[in-house]
Amino acid sequence: MSQNALSRELALRIALAARALPDTDAKRLVTVLAGCVGMPMTESKIAAIDLVTLKAAQQGEFANVADDVLLQALSILKNTASDKILPAVQAYQEGDLPNSVRIACASDDAIHVNGHFGGCTWFMVYQVNGEEARLIDIRSTDIPEGLVVDDKNVYRAEQIQDCKVVYVASVGGPAAAKIVKLGIHPMKLEEVESLADIVSQLQQVMAGSPPPWLAKAMGIEASERFKFDRKAVG
Amino acid sequence: MALYIVEADCISCGDCEPVCPTQSITEGAIVFKIDKRTCTECEGDFDVPQCVKVCPIDNCILPLEA
Repeated sequence: MSQNALSRELALRIALAARALPDTDAKRLVTVLAGCVGMPMTESKIAAIDLVTLKAAQQGEFANVADDVLLQALSILKNTASDKILPAVQAYQEGDLPNSVRIACASDDAIHVNGHFGGCTWFMVYQVNGEEARLIDIRSTDIPEGLVVDDKNVYRAEQIQDCKVVYVASVGGPAAAKIVKLGIHPMKLEEVESLADIVSQLQQVMAGSPPPWLAKAMGIEASERFKFDRKAVG
Repeated sequence: MALYIVEADCISCGDCEPVCPTQSITEGAIVFKIDKRTCTECEGDFDVPQCVKVCPIDNCILPLEA
């Protein structure tokens, strides 16, 4: 029996991959995988499975499952994409952070702002004010099964519609226009920076003298803004 | 007759500055601003004010009353 034992991590990935597949529990997936590679299963054998093998296994058990769903399950199995350990989301209730703004960061690794708007894996959503920042949500950009989406970029922008700013490593022109249209301010970074750096830079600006549009987003009334405003403009 | 930039909405992208036919738009201390003495709202040059056309923010550039 011991030679058939799975490593703890591989077992976890099989369970996660099974959840990504329709009507599949871990047992069914294990049976199919065993049909692909035989027992015992190892990392390297799993890594060698491709879409065609998976579809053909166990007399085509998964032949009717959509290709992209199977590919997603495979990427989870192989630990190539989205199953990295995500940071914990912190609790947030409206009003917890006075004069705060909500921002989204396009990320592929949950560590850096390294995502292209139209291709990133996650939007990391923070609530930020001058003193405090909380990671309040991690939003997947996957389009739910069965949902018909006319425009992928509009769908993505809608996922972060409650945010004032979105930080991206890159974004196309038409996509940026769609983001702006939803009242979100796209910020394209010159180079890849960590999420923590971006958040702390924003905090410094917010604690110092934020530009008027940001002050407005923070809910600071025009009359409370900086006196030099008036003098400088006049 | 002139336009003005709503300070609270301008994001200082600078898109409006080069399209102004009368060079009335300059970067101010806080955000971009329009010189009301020279702004023509593009009359004589274009059918619609070019700054309004290129501005990514809705209702950021408005007619100056009176």
